[in-house]
Amino acid sequence: MAISSVAVIGAGVMGAGIAAHIANAGIPVVLLDIVAEGAENRSAIAAAAVVKLLKQQPAPLMHPRNAGLITTGNIEDDLQLVADCDWIIEAVIERLEIKQSLYRHIDRVRKPGSIVSSNTSSIPLRDLVAGLPEHFAEDFLITHFFNPPRYMRLLELVGGEHTRAEAQAAVRDFADRSLGKGVVKCKDTPGFIANRIGIYWIQVAVAEAMALGLTVEEADAVVGKPMGIPKTGVFGLSDLVGLDLLPHLMESMLMRLPESDPLRDRAAIPALIGKMIADGYIGRKGKGGFYRLNRAGGGKVKESIDLVSGEYRRSEEARLESLSAARSGGLQALLRHPDKGGEYARRVLTQVLGYTASLVPEIADDIPAVDEAMRLGYGWQFGPFELIGQVGSDWLTGQLRAASVAVPELLERVGGGTFYRVTAGRLQYLASDGHYRDQVRPEGVLLLADIKRSGEAVAYNGSASLWDIGDGVLCLEFHTKMNALDPEVLAMIRQAIEIVPRQHKALVIYNEGSNFSVGANLGLLLFMANIAAWDLIGEKVEEGQQTYRALKYAPFPVVGAPAGMALGGSCECLLHCDAIQAHSETYMGLVEAAVGVIPAWGGCKELLQRWMVNRRRPGGPMPPIIKCFETISTATVSRSAAEAREYLFLRPEDGITMNRDRLLTDAKARALALAEHYRPPEFEAMRLPGATARVAMDMAIKSFRLAGKATAHDEVVALALAGVLSGGDTDITEALSEEEMLALERDAFLPLVKTTQTLDRLEHMLETGKPLRN
Amino acid sequence: MKNIVIAGYKRTPFTLAKKGGLAKVRPDDLAVAAVQALLKQTGIAGEAVEDLVLGCAFPEGEQGFNMARLVALLAGLPQSVGGVTVNRFCGSSMQAIHQAAGAILLGAGEAFICAGVESMTRIPMTGFNPMPNPRLARQLPSAYMSMGETAENLARQYQIPRSEQEQFALTSQQRATGAQAAGKLADEITEVAGVGSDGCIRPETTLAALAQLQPAFDEHGSVTAGTASPLTDGAAAVLVCSEAFAQSSGLEMLARIRSIAISGCAPEIMGIGPVISSRKALQRAGLQMRDIDIIELNEAFAAQSIACMRELELAIDRVNIDGGAIAFGHPLGASGARITGKAAALLRREGKQFALATQCIGGGQGIATVLEAV
Repeated sequence: MAISSVAVIGAGVMGAGIAAHIANAGIPVVLLDIVAEGAENRSAIAAAAVVKLLKQQPAPLMHPRNAGLITTGNIEDDLQLVADCDWIIEAVIERLEIKQSLYRHIDRVRKPGSIVSSNTSSIPLRDLVAGLPEHFAEDFLITHFFNPPRYMRLLELVGGEHTRAEAQAAVRDFADRSLGKGVVKCKDTPGFIANRIGIYWIQVAVAEAMALGLTVEEADAVVGKPMGIPKTGVFGLSDLVGLDLLPHLMESMLMRLPESDPLRDRAAIPALIGKMIADGYIGRKGKGGFYRLNRAGGGKVKESIDLVSGEYRRSEEARLESLSAARSGGLQALLRHPDKGGEYARRVLTQVLGYTASLVPEIADDIPAVDEAMRLGYGWQFGPFELIGQVGSDWLTGQLRAASVAVPELLERVGGGTFYRVTAGRLQYLASDGHYRDQVRPEGVLLLADIKRSGEAVAYNGSASLWDIGDGVLCLEFHTKMNALDPEVLAMIRQAIEIVPRQHKALVIYNEGSNFSVGANLGLLLFMANIAAWDLIGEKVEEGQQTYRALKYAPFPVVGAPAGMALGGSCECLLHCDAIQAHSETYMGLVEAAVGVIPAWGGCKELLQRWMVNRRRPGGPMPPIIKCFETISTATVSRSAAEAREYLFLRPEDGITMNRDRLLTDAKARALALAEHYRPPEFEAMRLPGATARVAMDMAIKSFRLAGKATAHDEVVALALAGVLSGGDTDITEALSEEEMLALERDAFLPLVKTTQTLDRLEHMLETGKPLRN
Repeated sequence: MKNIVIAGYKRTPFTLAKKGGLAKVRPDDLAVAAVQALLKQTGIAGEAVEDLVLGCAFPEGEQGFNMARLVALLAGLPQSVGGVTVNRFCGSSMQAIHQAAGAILLGAGEAFICAGVESMTRIPMTGFNPMPNPRLARQLPSAYMSMGETAENLARQYQIPRSEQEQFALTSQQRATGAQAAGKLADEITEVAGVGSDGCIRPETTLAALAQLQPAFDEHGSVTAGTASPLTDGAAAVLVCSEAFAQSSGLEMLARIRSIAISGCAPEIMGIGPVISSRKALQRAGLQMRDIDIIELNEAFAAQSIACMRELELAIDRVNIDGGAIAFGHPLGASGARITGKAAALLRREGKQFALATQCIGGGQGIATVLEAV
């Protein structure tokens, strides 16, 4: 069965967030909560939740208009709204009798074959369905979302012994394709996978930091980057989640954990945390947590709590020798280091990885599910079993023995080997039966990582590669630091333009970095500027223009497939593609103005042309120019792919893929569809108004400057941009060629790079990652 | 010389651009609502109308073509009635009244519908296609200066402290709130698209809240969103005819038009425009400012209004007694018809003798109309 309408009952943070994300998928969703006592609108609770969704940051909705897909109501008057829904998600308070009573009400109105699931994080499925009719149990499962539901990719799915296989399959398929979730099948055990391990990790990491006398900054620095864990580490994460949740989570876990579970020994909530909660220091949603921003006296000072005294003090960068060692020698160097940072890393990893190894097959059938859950639910770069591969199973076994801790069976079985291996280009994992099995991806999932394991690149240089992804399609991958674009990347694009027509039909530009690309390599630009190599800069600008132009008019279709940030020069690259298939979480923008320049690899020209041919814009010569001027001069970045459509970074016919793992498949399919009877695009000569348009933009920027919304150099950059977008010294009766437009971009770019203000902006961006407002 | 009278005044509610209840209503439909309400109120036969004169400051997009003719057709006026769209920016629909008065004096018709409209939601201020003449922009940049800047210029030139502007804005809000609560606006407003009352008025305004606002146009300036008229959607219409026609048709006359005037001033202080135009109109009427009982001074900005009041030596008790554009909003093309119709209606309501309606106009102009009781 296909799911085409959904209901969420419970409009709290999770329920509302889930409803928002279902709306993000374009699916109508009913959101119910209890009756608001005393309110004029009996559905005020659910209605208020939708209002909050529109204000919350990070935004739960990919586009404000998605709120229109959410129908609100209350469970007393509007429960019949769920009658038409294919999937009904319960996200109410974690109390069994309340949930069960709700299920009975739902069961009376829902249509036969509809699916009911609970978002419980702590109540076992067998308890939830106990005493309920069998037909209900057959349609019931647990779907455990992570907060915030739009951004956290993990969905833990637990089926009961009576749950119909088709019901599970339908939810799995919908969550995967429409919601973009990584669905991990879990067993009906406390905390399922991610929280079982995650809570243990938090408890151990907090307790050991206190035991070893580390500061919160030191602890977070050790368990963060070197272990591939988000830089919030453990204390920052606790602030983010809310300290007040920890005792509740722990309590519900303790009620159901096996008697011998090691988490029981780590269950104590430190006195300091108890006091912080009592005083309202529950993290970012409260007055602060382990960290806080002290705004006293109008300032903004980041402070950290002293784990011994409980007093706040100014935060300091962690300076441990072991951390310096880790920067060059990685996790291994950290673990070998004798200082307290090294000892902390050893203790935390030994306990957490040892514990995790003891939980399979109790919590999951196999290890990839565990790794996937920690990657997607806690944002770890590597799952625990992948981490064991990094530290060495021998090392871990040795550590456990030294601490007189029983070595888990799974760890004994792997011996000195690894849980993962690559055989004949195929990734395999150690299954519970002791054999290595191929890791099989869900149907329709195509990962470049798998392709790269299985063969050689068609072409390669230090910055980019070309891979054969089958069916006559090549994939161009960037692989520089942060996927910044440099001359080698451009060279690879030109190489692809030569190679593709020989034996292939189409090209996809895609990579599996956390960001598609942060744009051109600013370090190179700054270097050339510092040695006053102006001619060279001019050449490089022209080289980029000609490379993208050749890509645009190549005799084969090109599909850009961004995910994450696609900024500056990489946004320009995408604007030259025949089509874009974007991940829903794509943050696109022509951000050049933020570093004091303008898009000069054809970006101004391409965006302007998109607006000129757009049929929905107001008529006349100015609206496309004004739109581009606003978008580019303010370095606007879309906060989702849906929003990128508003700026015409995406055309109406460009596609959006919800599941990151399906992006390459969709992009490839798009490329193949375009390859049928492909004809390269033609440039429509541009008629632009010239000086009058420049004057109009000049007036606008001067008003912004006067009002304090633009800086002196913003004005300089915006005027240069206005010169390009107005068409220079043209007249509305004349048509400008593509080459003339590119010349305008070049002519505007170079004088900007020669200003000290632009150089200051470049330097500041490289040093801090943030724009300088000068 | 023929006497010319205002024999009817109606308007739509004025609501905030983009956020208000009329955001989704096309401007031509807004104008139709005002015109139809006027026809109904006066009971004038469509055949008797010579022309529909419609003011609009940005006549493009949905306000484009010759909107006046289209509004006449949409409103169900006979095809024999003409339609002309006039633009004098903020003074557009007062200009419509002046044109009708001139035509009547020439014997070129007896009855005119003079209306004005602006949807600042649907057609942005400056229009979709601002294309200034580069030569003029070089020679006289102030010709295209933003209105907010001109208000700052006056605030500086006349040394009008921010607190004085805020007190003025508060008075406007309080008077509008009071008038609304007392039902004094009900007669002039016709319901459109389910919206039956004004949406811009902020009864909750306090001096403390106004003092919190950031300057809107100049970071070092004194003019804020609270002391400027908001972007607004709305339409207004008045019936202008010869006194003889009104009498023979049994129309209820609100006021006689005594004199009119237009004046120009430096664009960078366009807000001072009402001073010269008012003096000219008074002189033509043979009156002194002290003779005037009711004054409708369009509140584009508090700073600009205060500067005019100082120059004309006006006390606040005679000015905008039901509140002004800072509270009601200022749909550019519609404001002239509103304040002229309002001044006429107030003369009658308050039983007074003379009224003055005057406005400043972007680009550096003033426009004024002197009315007298019939």
